[in-house]
Amino acid sequence: MRLPCWARRTLAGQAGTLAGLAVGVAVIAFSGSALGHQSVGVQLAGRLAATHVPPLLTTPEEPVALRYDAYCVGSDEGDESTCDVHGVAYVRPGESGAFTEVPIVEEQGATEGRYVASLPEAASWSDGFSYYAVLVDRASGATVTLPSGGASAPQRSLPLGRAVQIDLGTHAFDLTRRRDARVAEANWGGGDKDVGLEQGRNLSPIGGASFDVGRDGTVLILDEANRRVLSWQKGARAPERMPVAVAGTLADMSLAPDGSLYILESVAAPGRSPLVRRFDGYGRELEAFEIAEPTSSQIRIGPDGPVALQHPSGQWMPVASGGSPLGAAGQRSRGRAGRLIPGGREIVILRQLNEIRVALRRANGRQQAWRITSKTRLAEVQLAEPLGNRLVLVVRVYTDDRDEFVALVMGERGLTAKFSLESADWAETAPLSRFRVAGSSLYQLGSTPAGLFVDRFDLEVS
Amino acid sequence: MSVTRTFLIAFVAASCLSAAGTASAYHTQFIASNCNYAAPTPAPAITRDGSATVALRARYEGYQWGGGCWNDNNVDDSPGDETENPNTGGEGGDCSGFTFKVWRESETESNAGFYQWGMFRRVHGPYVAAEFKIGDGAPNITYAKSALIKMDALASQNHIGMIYAKNADGTDQIIEAKGEAYGTSIWTRTYRGDSSYGGVRRTGWSG
Repeated sequence: MRLPCWARRTLAGQAGTLAGLAVGVAVIAFSGSALGHQSVGVQLAGRLAATHVPPLLTTPEEPVALRYDAYCVGSDEGDESTCDVHGVAYVRPGESGAFTEVPIVEEQGATEGRYVASLPEAASWSDGFSYYAVLVDRASGATVTLPSGGASAPQRSLPLGRAVQIDLGTHAFDLTRRRDARVAEANWGGGDKDVGLEQGRNLSPIGGASFDVGRDGTVLILDEANRRVLSWQKGARAPERMPVAVAGTLADMSLAPDGSLYILESVAAPGRSPLVRRFDGYGRELEAFEIAEPTSSQIRIGPDGPVALQHPSGQWMPVASGGSPLGAAGQRSRGRAGRLIPGGREIVILRQLNEIRVALRRANGRQQAWRITSKTRLAEVQLAEPLGNRLVLVVRVYTDDRDEFVALVMGERGLTAKFSLESADWAETAPLSRFRVAGSSLYQLGSTPAGLFVDRFDLEVS
Repeated sequence: MSVTRTFLIAFVAASCLSAAGTASAYHTQFIASNCNYAAPTPAPAITRDGSATVALRARYEGYQWGGGCWNDNNVDDSPGDETENPNTGGEGGDCSGFTFKVWRESETESNAGFYQWGMFRRVHGPYVAAEFKIGDGAPNITYAKSALIKMDALASQNHIGMIYAKNADGTDQIIEAKGEAYGTSIWTRTYRGDSSYGGVRRTGWSG
């Protein structure tokens, strides 16, 4: 048997030493146990967990099916036979009117998306459809509703409509664009001008969890290892420090127009959901409130306050409205497929295989759409933001051993700009915190073993 | 110096060190109080859904570097341990130990069979993240990242996490033992496109 590396180091001594250590520790461990350390209780109540990738943007030529996975937790560990799930999808054309029940049936032999509701009539619904699903574990009676807002905030599927086709072809690596300016830079460390690395260097390096850029060009980096925000005024070489009481970890951050800083944590207290904390420009915590769901990957500023992309519902939910925090029910009842942005518009994104579908939907229902295809694999959409009447989109392209980002500026007739960027992601950040748009520039948060930086790329939109 | 004498010296030294650790408020004694070394239960087959269930039981539990034992109370029972100390006796697996148990593997690298370990069985398994990444051991193979599905894994030199679900924006929800400050849970990650990560598959799923 090969031992893990930490154990190899531990066991590097003499055999006699090893045996003595082992017996000694065992004796003490036993006595510690016997002297009254309590075993911690075990929770075995029935739980049902479900996942689903919503078909947010559809085309007429493809069959529509709602696919779910479901897991019954609470049965014997690893028991392969005790999960007996059934369910119903509640579906309606458009976004008003009565829902129709569609049974969710188990598709034998399917490895992913085993529980399926087929919607053959969906192709004829000119305004798409809205839906939610209720899954039930027959054995325990546990149920789960996705999205969690149910009928009050069903998931929305829109027809992609007439989309601008953009074919990226095969990506050419190593032709990356040079930055226009490096607007922030710091070494790893705990000094005044440094950004801290969480967990040290033996585990995955994590540092500079997220960033944002103010309207005046000030760059803010969340240095959660050192519990502070570092800010670089436009043109400044050294940062100013603002302590913030965050619990971390790999938190996302967004700067509101009023100067408030919203930080979305990713780890919650037991039995609770992660917190969004709001700080003023001096680092004073103004309030903290829970998101509705157990997991959230992004916080952004919508027209009415902060919104967070929450899972398992897979919806953007406002976490505050009109300056007042929303409770879990309030968030769930306002969940949306897309992210609302100023001007009453909404951005909807779906990446599937080597294709990205994007819709920029106006309040009056008019929609601009793009369909981006690539011969090189597409990973996550890091950013999609309007820039005047265009849309800036950053996506990661990858092979099994290479990756870069591609930035696209897309207009009504197609691409107006396209360039590649080094991934520059030595340290892990919050998952979708590597890019921001401010003014007419794209900003990238990057890192190397030496430190962290923010580079600016001017988009030169006329 | 004889082996016997070496044994005795080491025994005393270890006893003193362990006793000191016990006296400290730092160590939680989770392993000492809760974990066992029972033999695993061989299984004729395993499914991805079954492994997801094993993993979900560890959700919200702790993280212990070099560890592999947890309960199911949705609380990290040993918070705040040193990040890179395998001897703090806390709850949880580390990233590779968690994967090993969820994939229900054998401690013998040449054995690709299926073994149910149980939450309280303290076992890490023979692989660190870097070894998973290269498909070390009979049960593990490297696999194209674009073809990975649920309960396949993405591994780097120093971390591994399993795919729990896909998101509409091209990210994945990863179930992983992330670190002492994080514990074990599900988070949105971008490992799939990250070139420091490779795809890994446990072989032999029956569904």
